Amino acid sequence: MGGMHGFGPVEPEVDEPVFHAPWEGRTIGLMIATGARGVRTGSIRPAIEAIDPAAYLASSYYERWALAVETQVVAGGALTSAEIDERAAAGDVERIRSDATDPDLVAVLRAALDGPCEPSGSPVAARFAVGDRVTVDRMAPAGHHRCPRYVRGVTGDVVRVPGGWPPPGDEGEPEATYTVRFALPDLWGDDAEPGWLFIDLWERYLS
Amino acid sequence: MSAGHHGDGPSPIERRVAALESLLVERGLITSDVVDAVVETYERDVGPLNGARVVARAWVDPDYRQRLLADGTRAIGELGYGGAEGEHLVVLENTAEVHNLVVCTLCSCYPWPVLGLPPTWYKSFAYRARAVREPRAVMAEFGTAPADDVEVRVWDSSAEVRYMVLPLRPAGTDDLDEPALAALVTRDHMIGVVR
Repeated sequence: MGGMHGFGPVEPEVDEPVFHAPWEGRTIGLMIATGARGVRTGSIRPAIEAIDPAAYLASSYYERWALAVETQVVAGGALTSAEIDERAAAGDVERIRSDATDPDLVAVLRAALDGPCEPSGSPVAARFAVGDRVTVDRMAPAGHHRCPRYVRGVTGDVVRVPGGWPPPGDEGEPEATYTVRFALPDLWGDDAEPGWLFIDLWERYLS
Repeated sequence: MSAGHHGDGPSPIERRVAALESLLVERGLITSDVVDAVVETYERDVGPLNGARVVARAWVDPDYRQRLLADGTRAIGELGYGGAEGEHLVVLENTAEVHNLVVCTLCSCYPWPVLGLPPTWYKSFAYRARAVREPRAVMAEFGTAPADDVEVRVWDSSAEVRYMVLPLRPAGTDDLDEPALAALVTRDHMIGVVR
């Protein structure tokens, strides 16, 4: 989305609630519960990015999450689209709860969502060092990636090497990431606002 | 945007999410209490008050401030905060010369343990598109106009680091204690749309 025109002003909502309706909270709860229980396959972002572009733009944030969770649950084989369709058409929204509980998982999740943790990021070999000039590769990847279009082909400085994480779409060995600084005019042209853009990029995106 | 639903009764998306949850529960694949716990965590326990307490501590304790800027994750952990979407936190210090602004152009990356779940505008296409191209214009819509000689730094959270802004301590607050200082800090200060 970075740099696109036409979306109008940013419109904050006064006293916005955490969730606007209960189904939004259930959606993030389902996302985390199904992930923790291994009921869905894959990570959530690629599934959101795979949503049809027109549907993506027409959906709300939690609608996109709900769609992604459903897609992954179906992909994992736990449920079929047909049975979800059938249940949704019946509209029996009250028939959700059961008496079964899972206190161990509740305790694990509470600690994982709300408690101190060791900083992530592995100490990995890094090709670049703070102060190096790097250029983002030009590319047009079809699948999941984490290299926004607006920095491709642009040159900046490495300002920090926060550590290594498995690269997106290749959840294997950790790879170095870099915080790279770009001048806004280098991204947007001479009439851009003055200032700097800092962005974290995996080593594979840089030369 | 509730998919154009206007009538009474559950909307299509409400029905769909309810269908998904009820089928998963019936099959014994998940339990309702786990979903409840996630909802409660973000409605009740984890929100911008956590970040405000971190900021207030940094304002009154120079040693803490130094630890916070050097290793955000550990220093925030000292106050009992951390976890999902806060596994590698970097705190960005506003100064008289520098103003920081945080965005995620690719999706909605946000430091959950200190700010809670992001507000709708942070996830909006307008904010994601514009914060990196015209940060001052976006801040102006929040009533914020850093002086011309203030350097604006925009942080696009595109990988695993999550960012939070340490705002400037307001003038005339020398007499305030930590809880009173925390009450001055808003989510928008810690995202950076407000200075």
